[in-house]
Amino acid sequence: MLFFANAMNALEQLFTHKMRSILTILAIVIAVTATITVVSVVQGFTRYVSTFLEGLGTNAVFVGPQRPPGEAGKALGRVEMTEDDFHAIEAHCSALRRVSPMIPRQGVKIRVGRDEIAANIEGVAPAYHTIRNFPVDVGRPFAVVDVDRAQQVCVVGREVLRKLDLDEGMVGNNLLLDGRRFRVIGVLASKGSFFGQSLDDVILIPYTTALKMYPVFRRNMVIAAQAETAEVVPEAKAQVANLLRRRHGLEAYQPDDFIVQTQGEILAAFNNVGNIAVSVLAGIVGISLLVGGIGIMNVMLVSVTERTREIGLRKAVGARRRDILMQFLTEAMTLSLLGGGLGIALGYSLSSLASLHPQMVDVVVPLWAVFLGFGISAGTGIIFGIVPALKAALLNPIDALRHE
Amino acid sequence: MTSGQPLIQLRGITKEYQMGAEIVRALRGVDLAIYGNEMVAIMGSSGSGKSTMLNILGLLDVPSSGQYWLDGQDVAKLSQSALARVRGRRIGFVFQTFELLPRQTAIRNVELPLIYSGATPRRALAIEALRRVGLEDRMKHRPNQMSGGQRQRVAIARALVQRPAILLADEPTGNLDSRTSEEILDLFDVLHGEGQTIVVVTHEPDIAQRCRRIVRLKDGQVEADELVAQPSQAASRAGGGLAPPNAVQQPGDAAATQRTDVPAARPDR
Repeated sequence: MLFFANAMNALEQLFTHKMRSILTILAIVIAVTATITVVSVVQGFTRYVSTFLEGLGTNAVFVGPQRPPGEAGKALGRVEMTEDDFHAIEAHCSALRRVSPMIPRQGVKIRVGRDEIAANIEGVAPAYHTIRNFPVDVGRPFAVVDVDRAQQVCVVGREVLRKLDLDEGMVGNNLLLDGRRFRVIGVLASKGSFFGQSLDDVILIPYTTALKMYPVFRRNMVIAAQAETAEVVPEAKAQVANLLRRRHGLEAYQPDDFIVQTQGEILAAFNNVGNIAVSVLAGIVGISLLVGGIGIMNVMLVSVTERTREIGLRKAVGARRRDILMQFLTEAMTLSLLGGGLGIALGYSLSSLASLHPQMVDVVVPLWAVFLGFGISAGTGIIFGIVPALKAALLNPIDALRHE
Repeated sequence: MTSGQPLIQLRGITKEYQMGAEIVRALRGVDLAIYGNEMVAIMGSSGSGKSTMLNILGLLDVPSSGQYWLDGQDVAKLSQSALARVRGRRIGFVFQTFELLPRQTAIRNVELPLIYSGATPRRALAIEALRRVGLEDRMKHRPNQMSGGQRQRVAIARALVQRPAILLADEPTGNLDSRTSEEILDLFDVLHGEGQTIVVVTHEPDIAQRCRRIVRLKDGQVEADELVAQPSQAASRAGGGLAPPNAVQQPGDAAATQRTDVPAARPDR
């Protein structure tokens, strides 16, 4: 009952001093708005990127040659990754289920009839469809025989077809790829786009064929693999590293001349960016809350002074110290929660507004951010409201009543 | 009506204030006993200590030294929250300046003590109190929509709503014109007739003359304590005023020591 009376009182005070209240809660509104907006946007991006990275393939592991930095790197001889390395990984790494080379070539001329466009091609093995979660939905995927015989066949992405103004009827027909005739055997299922970049703008060819066309990659292959399960990803990584170190004749003191990256590591690297954004946010929110809290404390101190006689009267009719304390704490909390509420509404609108932009990822305000918003505003109210409330509670009744 | 047990018993009460560099001795050893259903006027010139004494009686202020038993309870032994409880339930305070909450209606002002005591049904009790002061038709009015006399009656209703043992009034008519003052004093007479113990601080002799007993303070001490032979109005009304004023002169050590185990007189119930 007393709580209800306090809340009613607090709202009355707020309405009586509208301008003062609005100005007071402004900083809290800003803090909570920033929290909601940034958290939502970061979450949206994180989810977006996670989805993309999951699209890279389940439990994917990527291996490539890399010269280590510094003197140790310079001391190494050739840094390379060969087809033999690929076969060795395929044969000996028990924690890997599938392995495929990944030979990228960008801006390759594609010609169909008179139309010519530039597209990215990748030389891969049949396992690649599964590793990268890139199935064929029309025609057929690569077969082992295509690779073994280095046949001139290809699987095309939807975006390539769109750019050539063609449809699935292309399957079974030929196109010219860097002047060579390739037969289209399948069309890849669409993967959509990532930050405005279509993921379907690609043509896959057998890696053996790619190596013939671009021999430079014989010593510079990237290998994509899929671990048996999520649990053995670290083990797979270790197996690959051990094998390659042995094969490359590295001594114990020498650094790796290759890099093994797991999907999780790529995700973690991205999450790092998200964490930086959240740290910046924490700074903004912290400062706004401090300013907002001081504002609340100031207004509450003024309120206590203005209402000293009222406090005296309340004490004269039986209010205990804790009743007065609660009254003023409730008032401070009402102010800060109102700020929090407005901030949540504003943050929500800003997030929705951001989602309207066509290039923008889907932004959803997570429920926990709403609770966080209310939590930090309520906390500010309590922390900065306690001093004025204590000041009021500890007033001597007769001194308060005599206050002019 | 009156038992041997005083409702209020003061012994050697002093009160000193620090006013800048000098110490003001507002009360210099006051002994006083007030019994149930008395109507007492405390008189004195400005600076005589009469308001200070009323504030001490109302537990709004604490004496510098001396003892105060309320209902046989030594108030010095009460905790802060027990004091608040007694202020809320046993004492009703009426101020010269009314002290109503300006933004709240009459009924909500009257309900205020009930919020803190938790007494229910709040609305019904508040309406009943407003009825006793004749303002049941002004419940929804705010203080600024009422005359001074009506405001003071709302304040009296607020003081009465808990059915306190004592009604303390500090210059209750000080801010009112004479006709309105008359209304308030008539109301006090009626309440006293119903058995309410009332202590009024005033410096106006006509008001004091309507009480049954006048305690005169001078320089912080009781100068005189006399019964009014013929209260100026409602003299025929049956009521208290039977308390022997000489009890003041003999506070009685025995009485003081056995205070706590004697059940208190509850003239209001």
